[in-house]
Amino acid sequence: MRIMKILIVEDEAKTGDYLKQGLSEAGFGADLARNGLDGMHEGLAGEYDLLILDVNLPGLDGWQVLKALRAAGRDLPVLFLTARDQVEDRVKGLELGADDYLVKPFAFSELLARVRTLLRRGRVKEAGNLSIADLELDVLKRRAIRAGQRIDLTAKEFALLELFLRRQGEVLARSFIASQVWDMNFDSDTNVVEVAIRRLRAKVDEEFTPKLIHTLRGMGYVMEIR
Amino acid sequence: MPGWRYSITLRLSLAFALLATLVFAALGLYFSRAADDHMAELDAHDLFGKLALIGHVGAQEETAEAFAARLGDALIGQNGVIATVDAQKKAVFRWPSAELADPLAAAGVALSQRPIRQTLGGAEYRVIAADMETPWGGTAHVVVGRDIRHHTDFLDQLQQDFWLAIVAAALLTAVVGALIVRSGMHPVRDIARAAGRISAGQLAERIPEQDVPTELAELVHAFNAMLGRLEESFKRLSDFSADLAHELRTPIHSLRMQTEVSLGKARSVNEYHDLLASNLEEYERLSRMIADMLFLAKAEHGLLVPQKAAVPLLDLCRRLVDYYGILADDIAIEVLGENLVVQGDSLMLERAIGNLLSNAIRHTPAGGGVGLSVRQRDGKVVLSIANTGQPIPAEALHGIFDRFVRLNPGGEGSGLGLAIVKSIVMAHGGVVSATSGDSMTEFVIEFPDKGDHPA
Repeated sequence: MRIMKILIVEDEAKTGDYLKQGLSEAGFGADLARNGLDGMHEGLAGEYDLLILDVNLPGLDGWQVLKALRAAGRDLPVLFLTARDQVEDRVKGLELGADDYLVKPFAFSELLARVRTLLRRGRVKEAGNLSIADLELDVLKRRAIRAGQRIDLTAKEFALLELFLRRQGEVLARSFIASQVWDMNFDSDTNVVEVAIRRLRAKVDEEFTPKLIHTLRGMGYVMEIR
Repeated sequence: MPGWRYSITLRLSLAFALLATLVFAALGLYFSRAADDHMAELDAHDLFGKLALIGHVGAQEETAEAFAARLGDALIGQNGVIATVDAQKKAVFRWPSAELADPLAAAGVALSQRPIRQTLGGAEYRVIAADMETPWGGTAHVVVGRDIRHHTDFLDQLQQDFWLAIVAAALLTAVVGALIVRSGMHPVRDIARAAGRISAGQLAERIPEQDVPTELAELVHAFNAMLGRLEESFKRLSDFSADLAHELRTPIHSLRMQTEVSLGKARSVNEYHDLLASNLEEYERLSRMIADMLFLAKAEHGLLVPQKAAVPLLDLCRRLVDYYGILADDIAIEVLGENLVVQGDSLMLERAIGNLLSNAIRHTPAGGGVGLSVRQRDGKVVLSIANTGQPIPAEALHGIFDRFVRLNPGGEGSGLGLAIVKSIVMAHGGVVSATSGDSMTEFVIEFPDKGDHPA
C-alpha cells in the first residue's frame, strides 16, 4: 500500500514539529509548512492526500489558503484546526470546502482518528464481516463470535466492538469513542467509556487469548494482536 | 462652534437680567402713565375751578371793568394764565400779563370738555376754553391755561430715573444671579469631585444620595447604579482571574513536582512512560478546565449564543441515559413525560442535561433511583432530574451553581459543571433551580414554551 502524504500548515513551531513527528510515526508521509504562503505553494505543487490547516496563520491565513487550493481545483480532504470555538468559524470553514475541523487543544489520537476517517472516505468497505485473530463480527446479522463461541452483546457494545475492528491498530481517544458510539459530542470528564470498555473486555477478552483490547494510559484504547 | 460650550451660569444670569429689565420697564411704563394721568387730573381740577370762578364773577359784574377788577382781586396769589375776550374779540381780561395772555387768546383754542395740551411761546400749557354769557357785553370767550413745565420736568426726571433703575437692576440681577447659580451648582461640583475620586481600586465609593437636591437625585442615583454595575462586573472579572489562578496552581504544581522528582535520577523506560502518561492526564484536565472557564466567561459576557433548532427533550434524555446509564450499576433510571420541544442548541443542552444526569447518578447510592421527567407547567417546559440519596445541606444548596463550588472539597470534578449548566440554561432563556429534601434531591430546568411540540 502506498504511503499517504499529508501536508501540515501550522505556524506554531512546537505544535508543527510534534504534529509532523506524530503523523510520521503513525505511518504517514508528513510535510510541514510554517506559513500560509509556503502552505499554498506546497499544496498546489505537491501531490498530497490530505491537508491539515491551521486557521490562524501570519500573512496568508488558513481561509485564503483553502480558497486558493479549491480555486485551483484541488479537491483533497482538508481538516482545519482552530483555536476559537466559534460557531461562525466552524460554519465558515465547512462552507469554504473544508471536510472536518478540530478545536485546539485537541488530543493527538483524536486528530489521528479524524485523519484516518477522512482518508478512508470514499472507499467503501462498510458491510460484510470484520475479524481480528479468532474474533469475527457479522455486521449485517449483528453477531459476534470468538473462538467459535457466540458472544452476547448489547447494541452499544456491538457498535463499540465494530468501531474497534474497523479501526484496528489505531489509538482511539475516549472522546472519539463517545462521539462515534453514543453521539456524545462534548468532552465529559466521567469515566463512562472506561466502564463500557471494561464490560466489553469482560465479554470479549477475559476468557480468551490473545487479548485484543489494550489501554494506552492517557491516550485511549487500541485493538491489536500483541 | 468648536471649543464653545454654553455655560448654565451665563445663561441663567442673562435670563435673570432680561427678566429684571422687562419687569422694571413695565413698572416704569405703568408709573409714568399713572403720574401723567394724575397730573392731568390735577391740572383739569385747577382749570375747571378757575373757569367756574370766572363764570361766577362774569355773571355778577355789570361792566367789563368791574369784572376785570374783581377777578384780578380774586386771583391774587394764584398761578396760571387767563385771557378773556368779548364778542368783538376785544381783550377784556389778561392775567397775569398781556405777554402771556395774548398768545393764549390768539391760539383760538377750540371749546372742549377736557383740557388740551398746547405749546405757547416755547412753553408747555394745558388749556381749556369756554363761552359765557355776560351782563356787560354778550357772549365772552374765556381761555384758561396752566403752565405744566414742572409736571413734564418731573415726568422726564421720573423716566430718566427709571432707565437708570432698569440698567442697575439688570446688572445687579445678572451678578447676583450668577452668584446664586454658582452656589446652586455646588452639588454638581461635589458630584464631579466624588466621581474624580473613583478608580478601579475604589469602585465601592458612592455619592451620598441624601445630601443631594431633588433635581440632582435622579442623576446621582443613575450614576451610583452605574457604579454598582461596574463594580459587579469588575469584581466578577477579578474573581474570575483569582479563581483561575488558584485552580490552575494546584495541578501545575503537582505536575512540576512529579516531573522534577522523576528527572532527579535515571529511571527505566517504563517509569518515564508512566510519568508522561500521568502528565498527559493532568494536561487533559487542565485544558478541559480552561475550556470550561472560557465557556463560562463567554456566558457571563452574554457571548454565548445558542444555535436555534428544535430539540425534543425526551429523546435527548433517553440518549443521555443510554450513555451515562453505563455508570449506574445498581441504580434504576426512569424517563417519564412528554417529548416536548425546546428551541435551542442541541450540543449545549446535551452538555447541561448530561452534567445534571451524571451528577445525579454519582450521588445516588446503590439501590437508589434517578428519575427524569419532561412536562408542561404554567406555559413552561419543565425538565426535572431527581435522585434519591443524602440530602444536600441548605447552606450548600445556596450558591450550588457558583463556579468552583464543590460539595465535598477535594472531591473529583472541576467544580464548574453546575455553573456551566446554569449559564447554558440562562442562554436559553430558562431558569435552573435545586431543592433537596429528606431522601431526594431534585434539579429543575424551566424553559420558555415556544409551542410546536410533536403530537
